Amino acid sequence: MERHGIHELSGAYALHALDPEEERTFEEHLAHCDECRGHVAGFQEVGALLAHDVEAPPPPPALRQRILDGARAERPNVVPLRERRRWVVPVAAAAAVAASFAAVGLGIWAASLSSRLDDERAALDGSEQAVSVLAREDADRIPLSGANGTLVVDSSGSAWLVVFGLDAAPSDKTYEAWIVHDEGTTPAGLFRGGGSHTVVKLVRKVPPGSSVAVTLERAGGVEQPRNDPVFATARSA
Amino acid sequence: MSRRLAHLSDEALVALVARADEDALAELYDRFGRVAYGLALRVVRDPALAEDAVQEGFLAVWRSAARFVAERARASTWILTLIHRRAVDLVRREQPRRTESLEGVPPAAGDDTEEQVWLGLQRGRVQEALRKLPDKQREALELAYYGGFTQSELADRLGEPLGTIKSRMFSGLAQLRESLGESGLKEERWNATESTS
Repeated sequence: MERHGIHELSGAYALHALDPEEERTFEEHLAHCDECRGHVAGFQEVGALLAHDVEAPPPPPALRQRILDGARAERPNVVPLRERRRWVVPVAAAAAVAASFAAVGLGIWAASLSSRLDDERAALDGSEQAVSVLAREDADRIPLSGANGTLVVDSSGSAWLVVFGLDAAPSDKTYEAWIVHDEGTTPAGLFRGGGSHTVVKLVRKVPPGSSVAVTLERAGGVEQPRNDPVFATARSA
Repeated sequence: MSRRLAHLSDEALVALVARADEDALAELYDRFGRVAYGLALRVVRDPALAEDAVQEGFLAVWRSAARFVAERARASTWILTLIHRRAVDLVRREQPRRTESLEGVPPAAGDDTEEQVWLGLQRGRVQEALRKLPDKQREALELAYYGGFTQSELADRLGEPLGTIKSRMFSGLAQLRESLGESGLKEERWNATESTS
């Protein structure tokens, strides 16, 4: 009955109708009760729909600018994406990429055609995917150099590239991702780019201390990179 | 402005806001500012306070976008929840709550934009779902959501035991969720299911 009691509070909680003390207690409960989290999420959706049962004049036009000014005034401690659009490979990444591409030139290459991703499935393009990848918990988010985007690496080393505004590869070409580490350079997937977002799950894990580079190669992909990286980034050791 | 963002989903915009993209915040405001203001005005019943609530709510979006988890909620729900909380906090702090009719907000200007048509449609759905509720459940939900009353204030005001109010709110919301699910929540996104984290 007591348990039933606290579960029932999910309704009032979603409507912000608990007294402050009760709200704190319920939040502690919420942290470890899946059932209540589910209820709260559903009830908050209902609340958001109730917000639409309102007939009101539009907000005063000046409010928009005030909000934007307020936001700018308290700019959070992050670097806006657009300021990163420079082709500067981080030092470590640049060294690793250069070393590996030199190795490739000497013919040291472990071909792995089976790891090649099917184009269509590899290149998911969609903002929801981008967001859900970017929002993954327990993941490192490492900015790309040379493109507007992020390498997301979870604790197991599984990795995603999220790239904004990447030009589509020409029809006879493909983007190809590479994992660059001490032992060499390994293909990690093909994708086409284009659209507003490109989300690619790499077919190989990205170990600490390795780099990820992307080149533009002929359609179908190649076993070894033949062109300079379009963009790259490094995962710290 | 923000034309480059017009085709992005709400969730993608929140991801950009998390990276301090002001245009993305502006686009979110353009999408939800009107609903947010209407909601705030209905709760606080004062245009200046309503503006404060909307401003604080959107600044909360700006600050906490990095914590938004797309698998757990829609961005629109998250934003309107933040606005609602700000409005309720403000009305509790600033204004002795009105107890009379909840219909006292100024009427909307009679424009017939696409947005207005869409809002009208949403409104119709919500009203129909509310109508299907037992009177006492509807009363409790409306007083809590639009009136900003806590459940214990409601118990006092309605002269009912607190436990009764609690279960009324829970079952009222559960029923609303069900009936809105038939008509209003159908467009589930691919990732609107269980969290994977």
